[in-house]
Amino acid sequence: MSDLLAATSTTLGVPEDLVRRSAEARAAEAGSNVDEILTAWGGGEAIVVTSSAAPEPPPSVEVSSEPPAQQEDVAPEIVIETPPAQTAPMATAPPGTYQPPVLVGVPDKPGMIILGAIGLFLVVLLMGLIGPSVATDEPGSRTSEIPYSQTAVNGQRVYASLGCAACHTQMVRPVVADVGLGAVTLNDTNQVVGDRRFGPDLSDVGTRMTSSQLESTVTGDTTTHPPHNLAPKDMTALVAYLLESRNSGGLG
Amino acid sequence: MADTPNSDNRTLHVVGEDDSRVAANHLVTGAFFLVLGGGLQLLSLMSLRFADIFPITYGRLEPMANLTLMIGFVSISLIGGIYYVLPRLTGARLNFSSLARFELFGIAGLVLVGLLAIGFGFGTGGQPFGLPWWINLPMTLLLAVPALVTIGTISNRTENRSYVTLWFVLGGVIWLPLLYLAFFSGDLPYLSSTAVAYTDVFFSAGFVTMFLFTVGTGLFYYTMVRELDVSLASRQLALVGFWSLGFAAVWWGTAQLMFGPGPSYLSGVGAALGLAFPIGALANAANASLTLEGAWDKVRDRPDLRAGVLGLYLGVGVAVMAALAGFRSIASVAALTGFWQAIEYAAISGVGTLLIASVSFSAVPRLFGRELYTRRTKTFLTLTLTGSVGVLVFMAASGLVSGYSWIGGSNSGAYVDVGEGWGAGLAGSVETMMLIAVGFAIVTFFGQLAYAATIIGTVTQGKAATQEVLVAKATVDE
Repeated sequence: MSDLLAATSTTLGVPEDLVRRSAEARAAEAGSNVDEILTAWGGGEAIVVTSSAAPEPPPSVEVSSEPPAQQEDVAPEIVIETPPAQTAPMATAPPGTYQPPVLVGVPDKPGMIILGAIGLFLVVLLMGLIGPSVATDEPGSRTSEIPYSQTAVNGQRVYASLGCAACHTQMVRPVVADVGLGAVTLNDTNQVVGDRRFGPDLSDVGTRMTSSQLESTVTGDTTTHPPHNLAPKDMTALVAYLLESRNSGGLG
Repeated sequence: MADTPNSDNRTLHVVGEDDSRVAANHLVTGAFFLVLGGGLQLLSLMSLRFADIFPITYGRLEPMANLTLMIGFVSISLIGGIYYVLPRLTGARLNFSSLARFELFGIAGLVLVGLLAIGFGFGTGGQPFGLPWWINLPMTLLLAVPALVTIGTISNRTENRSYVTLWFVLGGVIWLPLLYLAFFSGDLPYLSSTAVAYTDVFFSAGFVTMFLFTVGTGLFYYTMVRELDVSLASRQLALVGFWSLGFAAVWWGTAQLMFGPGPSYLSGVGAALGLAFPIGALANAANASLTLEGAWDKVRDRPDLRAGVLGLYLGVGVAVMAALAGFRSIASVAALTGFWQAIEYAAISGVGTLLIASVSFSAVPRLFGRELYTRRTKTFLTLTLTGSVGVLVFMAASGLVSGYSWIGGSNSGAYVDVGEGWGAGLAGSVETMMLIAVGFAIVTFFGQLAYAATIIGTVTQGKAATQEVLVAKATVDE
């Protein structure tokens, strides 16, 4: 079979692997043997395929001009058909394979979709990101900006890289649930806001805990808080950041 | 027909130059990342419940899982699906296919590097994952490649008619890099903390609605019509579904920060416009149901169609829950809790996996010329649906109870905290529900393993079948 396979492969210009595998599949479906299939592909007598390996072209459902009431049973607007031969860029598929039909609908301009998609995104961006991010609160006597020391600023980086914000917010809202957590957070906050609160809110943690309590919590000694093994410098910075997080005291 | 040898023709696909192989490689790579991401996600949930026994904390495990699932699995797989359908919708070869191959290696490589970066503390701490700028920059460029390929391919198309899938694909590939660019901009030094928080929720919500739901649904529209030779029930419903999903992105993200430092108009407007999400999901699910009318017996026998239908229906549930939580009364309880974690979990690991499985189970057999390896498909569908619904229900419930307990005593029902009054009693039930949710997450993970087994099994052990190939004249001439 190998000579026949090689010859067929050469004739068709298709890799031997693909020809062999395709011939096996075709032979199984046609109830024939591989040599006969290869002979046919190599220019010999054609094999009649009893169960078509390639799917029939999908039925064409043309656009109907019938009144709407008669269109309900058959979706009127979708046309599924293979492309006209003279415009199809595909050549004949190798034996044992088939080309897919091209699924098309009604005449359309993708350029409009592209423009619409970009336009919609800009609207979404404006309403969902830029709008909420712009400070809109009227100037008042209070601010949420905390004057962190340089060590605390370094600690904020440690806080971020540890992923503390995955469990802790630094955002006090004007809702009953947040009563007692500190002053309501305003738009000018420089704390790490976060959006999940699996652990306590830390906006005002500096007024509730001492540095030793904070350190033992971070290292996981006292609670079910996950343990963090930090370098002394990082631990100092992180504790400084948390200690200086006092949004209810001395601000404004 | 006998099984074919495992090595048969596999190399040809992986290293070949046919356009279809680009799609095939994406889908197989996506399956790998699903297993990796699913494992990380399971670990992250377990670390949330058993905080003191994990060497890496939830704060790092969760972004690692999100990165792997959102970019490694969902993005790569859906991009593979897009490359699969594009020639079949346009009658033209993929444009810039070399770039598409490079994009796959690039994104996969960056995801792996990103995992290391987050794991070793180089992440920015943002949600859903905070990568350093030197990963974000090339990632943004690589995520723009599918848009380039899609628009280039469409420009070469041979007819002027578009099937609805083309809209969903076009919208998705354009929105993905723009979303990522907006997300990446959160790292800019002059942005306020408030802006960074909104950037994070904007991206995670936008990714789900403007990319995952949009492209996943569009690909199912293709799979459904192609496999059953039926006509789509309504182009208008698809149109409603498409634009609604695009518009919905804003609001279920911002709802998570309701009553936060954003403007006060946000809560009212968000609640009203957030309804676009369930409207879009419902329109698409209804359209699919109408299309499949009279063909449900065939759907029962087809894992690809079943996966798609289940994905769309689960998507409706997720969308309804997300929209409801956008109303002020519910947001005051649900915001910041595990409720939103549940929504994101079900959207990505449930809806995403099912919709991607739909196109994969249809495409991979055609691309590789092998029948679908069906020994694990039922397991996949059952476990994925059961697990993701279970996590959705129990984690959302634990979030709501947490929220209520906070009202009883500040912070008292937060996951590990204790407090006064009735809130302290509820904390125990929160922990129990979280534990049950972790159990369901294990179920989901086994479903994800079954998905990967199906894809790999099809490639290596599937029975030989007639292969679908795209043969351009240029290729034959070569």
